[in-house]
Amino acid sequence: MSDRFLALDKLSLAYGNTVAVRDLDLEIRKGELLALLGPSGCGKTTTMRSIAGLMTPVGGRIHLDGTDITRMPANKRAVGLVFQSYALFPHLSVFENVAFGLKLKGMRGTELETRVTNGLKSVGLSSFANRKTPELSGGQQQRVALARSMVMEPKVLLLDEPLSNLDARLRLEMRTELQRVQKESGVTMIFVTHDQVEALALADRIVVMKNGAIEQIGTPEAIYNHPVSAFVADFVGFENIFAVRHGRLVTAAGGVMLSGALPDVAGLAWRPRSVSLGSGPLSGTVRGVSFAGGTREYVLETPLGTIKAEVDAALPAHGLGQTVAFDLPVAGAASLRRFG
Amino acid sequence: MFQNRTEALALALPAAIFAALVFLVPVILLLSEGFRVADSWTFSAYADFFAQPLNRTVFLRTLKLGALVTLVAAIIGYAAAYAIVSLPAGTKGRMIGLVVLPLMISPVARTYAWIVILGRTGIVNHALMAVGLSDAPIRILFSETAVFIGLLQLFLPLMIISLVSALENLPKDVVPAARVLGANWLQVFWKIILPLTREGLVVGGTLVFTGSMTAYITPAILGGSKVLMLETLMYQQVTVANNFVAASVIAFILVVMSFAANILLKRIATARNRS
Amino acid sequence: MTRRLFAPLTLLLVLVFLIGPFLIIVAASFSAGDTLAFPPQGLSFKWILKVFTVESFRDSFVMSMFLAIGGTFAALIMGIPASYAMSRYRLPFSETVRTVVSAPIIVPGIIVGLALLRYFVVPIGVPITLALFLAHTALVLPYAVRVVSASLNNLRPDIEEAAVLLGSSRLGAFFRVVLPNIRGGILSAFILGFVTSFNQVPVSLFLSGPGVRTLPIDMLGYMEIVFDPSIAALSSLLAFLSIGIVFAAERFLGFSRYV
Ligand SMILES: Nc1ncnc2c1ncn2[C@@H]1O[C@H](COP(=O)(O)OP(=O)(O)OP(=O)(O)O)[C@@H](O)[C@H]1O
Ligand SMILES: [Mg+2]
Repeated sequence: MSDRFLALDKLSLAYGNTVAVRDLDLEIRKGELLALLGPSGCGKTTTMRSIAGLMTPVGGRIHLDGTDITRMPANKRAVGLVFQSYALFPHLSVFENVAFGLKLKGMRGTELETRVTNGLKSVGLSSFANRKTPELSGGQQQRVALARSMVMEPKVLLLDEPLSNLDARLRLEMRTELQRVQKESGVTMIFVTHDQVEALALADRIVVMKNGAIEQIGTPEAIYNHPVSAFVADFVGFENIFAVRHGRLVTAAGGVMLSGALPDVAGLAWRPRSVSLGSGPLSGTVRGVSFAGGTREYVLETPLGTIKAEVDAALPAHGLGQTVAFDLPVAGAASLRRFG
Repeated sequence: MFQNRTEALALALPAAIFAALVFLVPVILLLSEGFRVADSWTFSAYADFFAQPLNRTVFLRTLKLGALVTLVAAIIGYAAAYAIVSLPAGTKGRMIGLVVLPLMISPVARTYAWIVILGRTGIVNHALMAVGLSDAPIRILFSETAVFIGLLQLFLPLMIISLVSALENLPKDVVPAARVLGANWLQVFWKIILPLTREGLVVGGTLVFTGSMTAYITPAILGGSKVLMLETLMYQQVTVANNFVAASVIAFILVVMSFAANILLKRIATARNRS
Repeated sequence: MTRRLFAPLTLLLVLVFLIGPFLIIVAASFSAGDTLAFPPQGLSFKWILKVFTVESFRDSFVMSMFLAIGGTFAALIMGIPASYAMSRYRLPFSETVRTVVSAPIIVPGIIVGLALLRYFVVPIGVPITLALFLAHTALVLPYAVRVVSASLNNLRPDIEEAAVLLGSSRLGAFFRVVLPNIRGGILSAFILGFVTSFNQVPVSLFLSGPGVRTLPIDMLGYMEIVFDPSIAALSSLLAFLSIGIVFAAERFLGFSRYV
């Protein structure tokens, strides 16, 4: 039961004749923090909107806490949604924004006061209660939106790219804040992002989506180290990705054998850091070098195509135009079950 | 975007049905009258209309005054708009306010002022006689000149604001750049300003032209029955001659011209949105 | 140097041309003389006061006020839901609806007035006052839709969804979060509609009967017969009324943002 706190069964969503999400199956545990990761247009927002009830599925069912909510109106679902744009009410103060939903529930007087004040305190905005929301900074607006949803004590809280409108420093700050709020309240949370770093840092599990379908579900470690497809590998920072056919790498220059037998997989992928530079059976010409602090990053033009490598900056540098030997060690590669 | 069609229609239909019933249907019926003579569909009313010299004169005068007012408004408009955009921000806003202000005043009041100015005992005649240029009051009212002046005053603000927004969107340093390259002012205008503000000119021009063509108050007050334009002629056809067919013909001409202008404006707006 | 002065000088002359006549009728309305002349012969308030004693002016003023307020109100009652449907819903035939409701702005008013006379007043016996009311409502509808649509489009649509997710009904969300945020736009639409309707002549030309006429039509009729400064006085009063309203609207609403 608690493994199926929120369950999407064969969920299909469409805008008119455009199908945005097809036969999606997903089960989420109570109290879990799940990240929905994928490129623009893959259907993340659409999925969230259907869970919130802002969109009616064309097929499939949604269950929440043992109830079928597929056709339940949005205002009855106890699902919270923090919009990417925050969607604060511009004519209301911070306090009134947070109190909005509670008032609709009929809450008044000191109880309302206490709940709202606590909500604002938990996001560190106690002293801003009487401000109008357009006067707040992006990070503060974000917190108001979070508090506004949290005081409703939703069964599930959905966040659509909650951090994408913030600058880098604030983003880091809000990331920690989100994690703290989630752990303290134990709310089940799904957040959308197309930033893999964010997903890896925050989530208990990550769902990678592509073209309206799930490509891979797993823990951050599993996704980071064992991508199942070239698409996921590319998404989590594998820069050198090749298909494998008949025991050879498929490259621009035809099939290439590597030292050591290739496993029976659809493809292999190497992070730049896994490419060993300086020795090996392969060679390429240095077309780009950039210094990245502890390491140096190389772009090599090779018969296999462009190879990106990253090595310790303490090692002697190779200049532009130099020919360098390298190897793609099979042991350092991720095995892809699907290529595409 | 809400998907519920029934709800959407329930919200939009009262306005649409109202406009269709109160406006669209009667207007279409009225326009059809000019094509129905003795219970058959025909263009004969149009032939009859244009066969009359008076009608031809009025039609051509309406076109001529419309064109003339547009042309003069464009020339004056460019100079005025150029002066406005060169002003510092605060003064600029106030100037635009002053230019727009007359649009808020009743056109009857605005046109009436010209009677005070151009009438027999008006300012102009006073001045002419005071400096001895004339020893009896001259007749300025009820002439094409008077109507022209009235229309120009009525519609010049529309041209100026269109040109102001066009000039504001002019890339910042093109004029000084052209000057540095040796262009004189006339060349700068023809080669740089005019092509880059063409859209604004067309928008302003269309507004001024249709406004002048379809004006009623100005020719009624300043032109009288001597200087008829299409709308005052239409009024006469109805109230004096009881000729509803001719009125319908005029109405059709006015509608065609207004729609043509509107389509032109829409084209420009969509072209601008695309770029 | 002369070239540098050319544009500012033109602007100055343009302002004199645009605003001067208005100042002149203001001056003329304080004339003590009996005919319209300039410069005014002496100074008095008699024409200003006379305006208030002319009964037909009083009646037609009331009529014009009724049309401007009632017509604009009716246009907004229909225009606000229509604008909402066009901006927030997947409305079938959206373009057609928009064209139909904004068509009255394109077609010259005189035609609308005549059409209503020919097909409403004469054959069906619709009272002139009602026909005037319908005509003015139709005339203001496009302005109402345009201004309200603009302020709806400036308002994020997701705040309504946020309200719904916090437990509000769709209708409740409209009244709780949409309406308070487009109030400025609605008031601006009201003022624009009011001024447009109040100053409107061609639509009302054919729609007048015994004792039923709008103020501008009444003024047109009066000035054909009487050649005294009372029209100047009335014009000045009306002009100050319009300017006052628009000025206040700009001050408190930022009117020009919406128009
Ligand atoms: N209102 C709409 N009408 C029609 N198609 C839409 C609409 N909204 C989204 N789509 C389509 O549905 C698909 C999924 O869109 P969705 O907004 O869910 O993507 P997303 O993963 O949230 O992308 P992003 O990262 O850009 O926010 C896209 O192909 C998009 O073009
Ligand atoms: Mg999205």
